[in-house]
Amino acid sequence: MLNNLFLHFVSLFFLKDKRRYLSLMIISTVVVFLLSVALFISSSIKHTLIENLQNQPDFIVQKVVAGESSYTPLSWQDKILDIPGIGSINARVYGRYNLDSKKSILIIGIDPFDEQTNKSLKEIIDSIDLKAFLKEKYMIIGAGVDSYLKSHFFNDYYNFLTPKGELKRVKVFKVLSPKSAIFSNDVAILPINLAKEILGIKKDSVSDFAIDIPNSSEEDTIKQKIESLFFNARVVSKRSVREAYESLYDYKSGIFLALFIVVLTTFTLILYLRYTIATSIERREIGIFRAVGWSIKDVIKLKFLENLALVVVSFTLGVSLAYLYTFIFNAPIALNIFLDKQNLKSFATLDAYIEPGVLASIFIIFAISFLATALIPIWKIATTDPKEAMR
Amino acid sequence: MDKLLLNSYLSIYIFSEVITLILSLMVLFITVKIVLKWDFNSNSKEQYALEKSLYLGSILALFLFVAKLILLVYLVYALDAISIYIPGAMCAAGVVSANGYGMVLLGVKFLTIFMLLLYLFLEKYDVESKYYPILRAREVVLIVAIVLSLIEVYLDYSYFYNIDINAPVSCCSTLYGTLEGQNPLPFNLNINTLLIVFALLFIALISALLLELEILTLIVAPLFIYISYYSVVYFFGTYIYQLPTHKCPFCMMQKEYNYIGYLVWGTLFFGVSLGAVWAIVKRWLKKDYREVKRYAIILLTLFVAINCSYILIYYIKNGVLL
Repeated sequence: MLNNLFLHFVSLFFLKDKRRYLSLMIISTVVVFLLSVALFISSSIKHTLIENLQNQPDFIVQKVVAGESSYTPLSWQDKILDIPGIGSINARVYGRYNLDSKKSILIIGIDPFDEQTNKSLKEIIDSIDLKAFLKEKYMIIGAGVDSYLKSHFFNDYYNFLTPKGELKRVKVFKVLSPKSAIFSNDVAILPINLAKEILGIKKDSVSDFAIDIPNSSEEDTIKQKIESLFFNARVVSKRSVREAYESLYDYKSGIFLALFIVVLTTFTLILYLRYTIATSIERREIGIFRAVGWSIKDVIKLKFLENLALVVVSFTLGVSLAYLYTFIFNAPIALNIFLDKQNLKSFATLDAYIEPGVLASIFIIFAISFLATALIPIWKIATTDPKEAMR
Repeated sequence: MDKLLLNSYLSIYIFSEVITLILSLMVLFITVKIVLKWDFNSNSKEQYALEKSLYLGSILALFLFVAKLILLVYLVYALDAISIYIPGAMCAAGVVSANGYGMVLLGVKFLTIFMLLLYLFLEKYDVESKYYPILRAREVVLIVAIVLSLIEVYLDYSYFYNIDINAPVSCCSTLYGTLEGQNPLPFNLNINTLLIVFALLFIALISALLLELEILTLIVAPLFIYISYYSVVYFFGTYIYQLPTHKCPFCMMQKEYNYIGYLVWGTLFFGVSLGAVWAIVKRWLKKDYREVKRYAIILLTLFVAINCSYILIYYIKNGVLL
């Protein structure tokens, strides 16, 4: 009996009682919307972080003193370079500089004539005029730093205070575009020696070494060799960083999901109650159908299709609203749950990226719990005696 | 375990499994009652209630069938997604083999879906013949399916509980690769004889379906699944990956290979299952569901066509075979 005529009848039936479904549809849409927003934001941030990780070096080597990472001696560089299989090694200088008691910026020191292992840094350096950059004390800053400086009346320069107590006046060379602000928001890029002075790092040491390995199957061996070369070296690989990102955002969306399951359970209870206490009009309708010769199966089919339509419509609505909210309006309020550490005001925009699995997840958890709840009331209504129903 | 539970795919999977568990228990309760107390000639109130609950059992069974099928696909996708957490795993193969329960879980899932499919056809036949001639038999089939799905939930629990995210597992090339000259194929076959057996079984299965030889279909069907599994992993798969050393049943379900694995394994499973269901109904109930047989033949042919097309495309592009 699942033919065009029947489907046409279902659609007529559905449209006839728009009012009856409206409230249910609104609640379902809100439920789908909430879940979609959380999963969209976390999957989009995770995607951006992992995309960015592709630009990072394969290994980072640090010196460890008393369990804490400390400045690494520059003399390690040549010893590490002797290990066969290493593509390039870069000495990196970076650290946080406190602007006031709460806000800080990330200072990155670069040697512009060195091969850069970080591809986004390389892009930035390739895009500027090096001669002009090195002429005076210049820095390249992120959008968040720029707005902080402007609000503190430093229009195109800043006075850094070194640990020795000297003032260093550094001019702004360029402000990075806020597009990939998750990373570059609170960053200031300076020439390496100037950065060392401001951060108070000795001339013969650096923050750490970034190592690139062309053949990825040699990674494990090289890691072991570095670790046996220096007893106090910590080697961090790209894969372990990726794992850390994944589990951080899994943790955030996991906690949200656990709370959401509570919401969903409540929702299904409401749904169940709403369906079991069928209105007398509904019962009479079913009674008439049965009286004119519909079988129980037909009534079940009708009711099931009705609910399926409800699920599909509220799923589509909820997901599209969530898409608008997250990627067009950039998820106000909700984004702050996922981007913690509000240091400088963030200008991050979310990449419109949705994993296919995320959409499937939303549909599965919503549709299965909705329909599973609706099935028993549907059966109850369908099997009521027509004579009794019409009374 | 707790770290994995926070993964959104897994928590959604487990929540959905819990919902299906509740429905399964309900179906079990209804069905056992029907099997024990059904009396079609009785006019009692109880019998009237049983007839009503028969409908509930069958719609829940239909729902469970669809839900279990979706959840199986979803589980494979989720296992692929969590392979990042388990050291050594590069696709779902490593995660599944993280402990002894993984493969069994997948096997039981397929079996549950097959039993539910069989039940749905038996129910269709039973309802069409008005007097419910095979009511008890079909309800027993349903009970078997439900018991299987309960076992499945137990396996779900044991599997996820026992995954150790710190212990390294093997990746697919270690699990399925040729192990230092040791032959991974069954019955001492080599690739050539495997392909010959595969082709023969395919021809046998299709002709058994066409010539309506039900017993032969039922004998050949499980053999065909068994041999097809090895043929896809050890021969056809290498063309999908375009790499003679890449032997894995799971990697082909990744994005890099356009998720083709879902289609490959899906057509195989449903082709053989529908064929078997048709044969069972035809042999013991004397009812010929022609369209079921037709779909079985179409799906099986599609399965072989997909596999062969990869070889053909590879040959046209490169001019050589692997």
